[in-house]
Amino acid sequence: MESVGNEKKIQALFRELKLADERVAPEFIKVWNRAQATSPGSPRVFKIFAVATAALLVITLSALVLWSRNGQPADQVDPKVATESTTPGSTPAPHQATPATPPTTRPLRSVVAQSPARVESNQWPPKLAARRKADLEARNAVIREAVSISSWQSPTATLMQSPADHVLTSLPQLDRSLNELKTFLPNTQQ
Amino acid sequence: MKDKQIDISELQAELEKLHVASFGWALSCCRHDRADAEEVLQTVYLKILEGKARYRGESSLKTWLFAVIRKTAITEQRKRLLRSLKSLAGLNPTPGRNSFAAEPAAAFERSEARKQFQIALERLPARQREVLHLVFYEDLSLREAANVLGVSIGSARQHYERGKKHLRESLNREELDYGISWERKENPGAVS
Repeated sequence: MESVGNEKKIQALFRELKLADERVAPEFIKVWNRAQATSPGSPRVFKIFAVATAALLVITLSALVLWSRNGQPADQVDPKVATESTTPGSTPAPHQATPATPPTTRPLRSVVAQSPARVESNQWPPKLAARRKADLEARNAVIREAVSISSWQSPTATLMQSPADHVLTSLPQLDRSLNELKTFLPNTQQ
Repeated sequence: MKDKQIDISELQAELEKLHVASFGWALSCCRHDRADAEEVLQTVYLKILEGKARYRGESSLKTWLFAVIRKTAITEQRKRLLRSLKSLAGLNPTPGRNSFAAEPAAAFERSEARKQFQIALERLPARQREVLHLVFYEDLSLREAANVLGVSIGSARQHYERGKKHLRESLNREELDYGISWERKENPGAVS
C-alpha cells in the first residue's frame, strides 16, 4: 500500500517535471532548421573533392599504363632482323622461304615500331620524345649503312667475267663428255 | 530523389510530434542542461538528415529516436569532457554552462519539491535514472525502455526497482532534512 503511494508520488513529481520541461522546450522548426542549415555543406565539398581526386588518380594510372605499353616494343628492336627485312636485293633466309613456317610478324612489327611517325603520334613528354627521336634516327642511319654495304658491287667486276666462267666455277659431271661424243658418232644401226 | 524527400517530410512530421518528449529525454541525458539538450537534439536531427541515423522499422520510432538521442548525448558528453580537460591543461577554464544549478532565476521559479526531486534524480546511478525517466516521464513500457537502453528486460526491471527504492529513500531523507531545517528556521533556539 505504501509502495503504491510512493509510486504515485514519484509519478506526480515526474509529471510536474514534464510540464516544466515542456514550457522551456524550444520550437521544433527552429532546431530542425538549424540542423538543416548545418547539414549539406561540408559533406558535399568532401564528395566533390573525393571524386576529383579519384578521377585524377585514374587518369594518371591510365597514362602510366599507356606509356609503359608503348615504350616497351620500341626498346626491343633487333637491328639485324630489320636490316634483313628492309634490304631489297637480299635473298630470304631458308627458314623464311618455306611455307610451313609462320609469317614473320615480329621483324615487321619491329620495323614499324621504329618509324618516326609512330613515335610522333605518341604522347611523350617533350624531352623524352626528342631523345627517342634522336635514338631512332641513329639506328636508321646504322641500318641504311648496313644495307648499302651488303648491296655493294665492285666497278671492275664485269672485266673479270669470261664465257668460260662456268667451267671454272662449276664441277665437271661424270659421263657427261662421253654422252656429248656419242652425238657426233655415225649411227651403227643404220 | 522524390521518394527520399517524401520520406524525410513524413519523418519530419513524426519527429515534430515527438519533439517535446525528445527534448525531455535529451534533458534527462544531459543532466537537465538546457543548452546541451538543445545541442544534442540538433545533432540528432542532423544525423537523421544526413542519413547517419536511419530508422529501419525494427522498433517503434519513439524507441529508436530515444536510443539515438541517448547515444548522441553520451558522445557529446565525452567531447565536452575532453574539451574541459584540454582547457584545464591549458589553464584556461571555460565559464560554466547555464545548467540548472547555475541559473538562480530559473531555479527560483522552480518549486522546492521539484528541485528536491531533481537533486534526488541526479544522485541516482545513470541507468536507474534513465529507466525511471523512460517509464514515468515518457510512459514507455519496461520492454521499450530496455530497447532504448540496449539492455535485457530483466536488467531493465532490476534498474527500475532499485531506482524506485533509491529515489524513495532519497526523497524521504530530503523531506526529513527539509523538515529539520524548516523547524530550525522557525525555532532557532530549539536544541536538536
